[in-house]
Amino acid sequence: MSLPDRIEGPLGEWVTQQRWFASKAREVASVNVLERVELSAQPALELELVEARFQAGTHELYQLLPGEDGGLRVLARLLGEEAQVGGVTFHGGLEPTGDIRAMGAEQSNSSVVFGEQQVLKVFRRVEPGINPELEMVRFLSARGFRNVAALTGWYEYSGGIMQATLGIMQAFVADSRDGWQLALDDPLGVLARLPELGAATGEMHSVLASDPTDPAFSPEEPSVEALSLLTATIDEQIEQVFLDLPRHTPGLDPIIGRGEEVRDRLQSMSHVGVGGRLIRHHGDYHLGQTMLSDAGWTMLDFEGEPARSLLERRRKRSPLRDVAGMLRSFAYAASASELLRGVPAPAGWEEQARQGFLDAYLETVDQSLLPAGRPATDKLLAIFELEKAVYELRYELNNRPDWVPIPVAGIARLLQEEVPT
Amino acid sequence: MNHPGQWFESDPLWFKTAVFYEIHLRGFFDGTGDGHGDFRGLTEKLDYLQWLGVDVIWLLPMYPSPMRDGGYDIADFYGVHPDYGTIEDVRTFIDAAHERGMRVITDLVMNHTSNDHAWFQEARSSPDDPKRDWYVWSDDPTRYDEARIIFIDSETSNWTWDEQAGAYYWHRFFHHQPDLNYDNPEVQQAMLDVLRFWLDLGLDGFRLDAVPYLFERDDTNCENLEETHVFLKKVRKTVDDEYPDRVLLAEANQWPADVVEYFGEGDECHMAFHFPVMPRMFMAVRREEAAPILEILTQTPHIPSNCQWGLFLRNHDELTLEMVTDEERDYMYSEYAKDPRMKLNLGIRRRLAPLLDNGRDEIELMTAILFSLPGSPVLYYGDEIAMGDNVYLGDRDGVRTPMQWTGDRNGGFSRADFAQLYAPPLMDPVYGFQAVNVEAQLRTPSSLLRWLRRFIALRKEHPVFGLGSFEVLTPANPKIFACIRTYEDDVVLCVHNLARSAQAVELDLSWYNGRRPVEMFGRSRFPKIGELAYLLTLAPRGFFWFRLEEDDESA
Repeated sequence: MSLPDRIEGPLGEWVTQQRWFASKAREVASVNVLERVELSAQPALELELVEARFQAGTHELYQLLPGEDGGLRVLARLLGEEAQVGGVTFHGGLEPTGDIRAMGAEQSNSSVVFGEQQVLKVFRRVEPGINPELEMVRFLSARGFRNVAALTGWYEYSGGIMQATLGIMQAFVADSRDGWQLALDDPLGVLARLPELGAATGEMHSVLASDPTDPAFSPEEPSVEALSLLTATIDEQIEQVFLDLPRHTPGLDPIIGRGEEVRDRLQSMSHVGVGGRLIRHHGDYHLGQTMLSDAGWTMLDFEGEPARSLLERRRKRSPLRDVAGMLRSFAYAASASELLRGVPAPAGWEEQARQGFLDAYLETVDQSLLPAGRPATDKLLAIFELEKAVYELRYELNNRPDWVPIPVAGIARLLQEEVPT
Repeated sequence: MNHPGQWFESDPLWFKTAVFYEIHLRGFFDGTGDGHGDFRGLTEKLDYLQWLGVDVIWLLPMYPSPMRDGGYDIADFYGVHPDYGTIEDVRTFIDAAHERGMRVITDLVMNHTSNDHAWFQEARSSPDDPKRDWYVWSDDPTRYDEARIIFIDSETSNWTWDEQAGAYYWHRFFHHQPDLNYDNPEVQQAMLDVLRFWLDLGLDGFRLDAVPYLFERDDTNCENLEETHVFLKKVRKTVDDEYPDRVLLAEANQWPADVVEYFGEGDECHMAFHFPVMPRMFMAVRREEAAPILEILTQTPHIPSNCQWGLFLRNHDELTLEMVTDEERDYMYSEYAKDPRMKLNLGIRRRLAPLLDNGRDEIELMTAILFSLPGSPVLYYGDEIAMGDNVYLGDRDGVRTPMQWTGDRNGGFSRADFAQLYAPPLMDPVYGFQAVNVEAQLRTPSSLLRWLRRFIALRKEHPVFGLGSFEVLTPANPKIFACIRTYEDDVVLCVHNLARSAQAVELDLSWYNGRRPVEMFGRSRFPKIGELAYLLTLAPRGFFWFRLEEDDESA
């Protein structure tokens, strides 16, 4: 059981060894408890906000829930009672019941399932402001969007340090399978369902853009500089990643020495008029964030990219960013089949997946959210795909050298394609 | 009600690692098409500022004003000049800035009001008016005659006769800006209420204009008086008690020893501008020697650890030469103000790029030195693209021309007709908007704008520049300005060549024996530091910034 936390040994050592601790590569100077709220004496359960300070002087905050067995029942009761304890306020009104089990391997949070009915996600890394996951799920649930698990509760902190969302609870989608695993297990089966996912994604974006009265969600026009700022930022990322490219990593051959070419290509793609609108969107969209059940597709994890700041994740951007994320994950799935299972993906799988998803998406989504005309949409999409691929390249070089050929192929593919006109 | 914590984690020292960006609202972007920049326009450009890496936007005064002193003549502390928008526009702008992780401070003039202000109109109406005592009156225009006249080009006395009042009123700046009487507790209370109004709106602090002059006393020069510090401490306490995480930035154009008084014991202003270091940087680059910078740094006292200097190369005023010797001033005029039109009061009214003959190396070098010094850098709008100035415009308007966004009509600043613009954008072949604009520099990877963004990002990656200790190295080569910054485990060495020629320098780094310098821009590893002097060669006007990393591997 992942929760309550059982802290063994010195706090600093324990925190930095946890899976959810984000900055394992950095040198931690100290770990301090900044806030401690006793949620229950019997069984014991505390809520702690803990600061990890780094050598360079910056810091990160984490949520800990140390306590005894049975502590999670307390948490469930507090959510049910909409209690307020110290600076912590609980919302929901529906007490989760039934057997408690931990969810499997999670990177940045800790989730527990109550009675196969509800799932509580405890955010570990805490930042000031409302968590986009709460905001997004609440917005989508309230507007009857079917492809999201309904919000059933949340809890938050408000005190001297900050205001922050600490955790959210949603309906648990039973008998569902992770879209990523499914693509590896049954590529052709998934292929047939991707138009449905494309349409659901289009609908999600249309719903997210549907309320001009809510300032957190009302669509915005991109500024005149928007595309130039984006291009300049990606251009720097390309320059950086090519500057650090190791000389002898196999798999880099198709792009080695071609940094300038990639930058030129980016430049030529960016000669597209400003268009489309900026909206709230998923922010970290890929096959692994979807579940397929008898009821259809369900979208998960609206937190956005964990590496970005919370303010950054709440920013409105082109919905094509989500689309690019999904298209890149098709490339990953096609290659992972070979890398993880030793079975090559069916011939032409990636192309068909892209087309099936994209055609349905473009048909469904509110057209005012896209740049005018298919060529402009394709160009903007290609820019976002390049941005993703460059990010992936840096990540894989640092973490999984075997996977480097995937982003390399993505970048090489953009170099080969004709610029849409 | 705004909750600061909703946008930012509580951090009372946030301003120490922040990059400030000063904006002349009228000149930034016209969102309504009437020829004047405004809050709506500024809100549209927030993505640009966020991209650049700005942490704090500092706005010049935006209050209703007859505009006889660029808005520093405030006619109503509770409003917004109609050219700039409405209070609602301000609120939208502040929220949008916060959403992007940027804070906002504005100028607040506490010393005086416009003579159009209702308070002054009441005060002059009758000796018995309850507001009479809100200003400083006298029958004798020789009182306080030890106080200098600041605007020597336009004013002959600090007293002006008011026919209606039948008395002289006191003013340290223009005669249309009567000084408020801070000996009156009602005035103090009224000003605290003004602060509360704007902080309630979400503002993150103030740049307090002209603070040394709040009180007057016989037989003094009426500057930096003890009473002024007592009042500012009261302001600070009010802000700390009611509005945590805000900042007060003092404008006190004084010698460092006097300016540090404005920090109190860390219980007065959070920040103050370091005025005297600025002209000395220009002197150093022209004389090709570090001495002027070193001299002023040695004269600069330590400041409380919860305080910070504001450092700048240029701002909306003339490049002030009040805090230099007569000899130094003559030197600065002869080097930097060859056309007499370039002089104003005791200063030079030009922008950064023209001052440095538009030299890219010089601009980068000066920025590097600025960023290496202990303090928070304050950038001036337009300098990031090397905008020029217009010496043919009056007063300080020549350095307040429209921001140059594109090569299109009006430089992309406004959709209004050219004749409607508050001031003509620059159109000369060197600095005009067709040659110098944001759009072009965004697209050019080697542009100054793109370089500055990378440089700001680099500085912000290292809190050492805002929080670290500062130690000047004194190598034998006088043309080199080198310093070491240390914070916790982060040790940074900054070496700058002020000469127009390539230079070699030997630095005594024996204290860091065994560490390896890694150049911060390109991450190139340099030879390890040993017992002997460390030899570096620098290109003309070149500089290196290194991290001194612990290194176990042998060289």
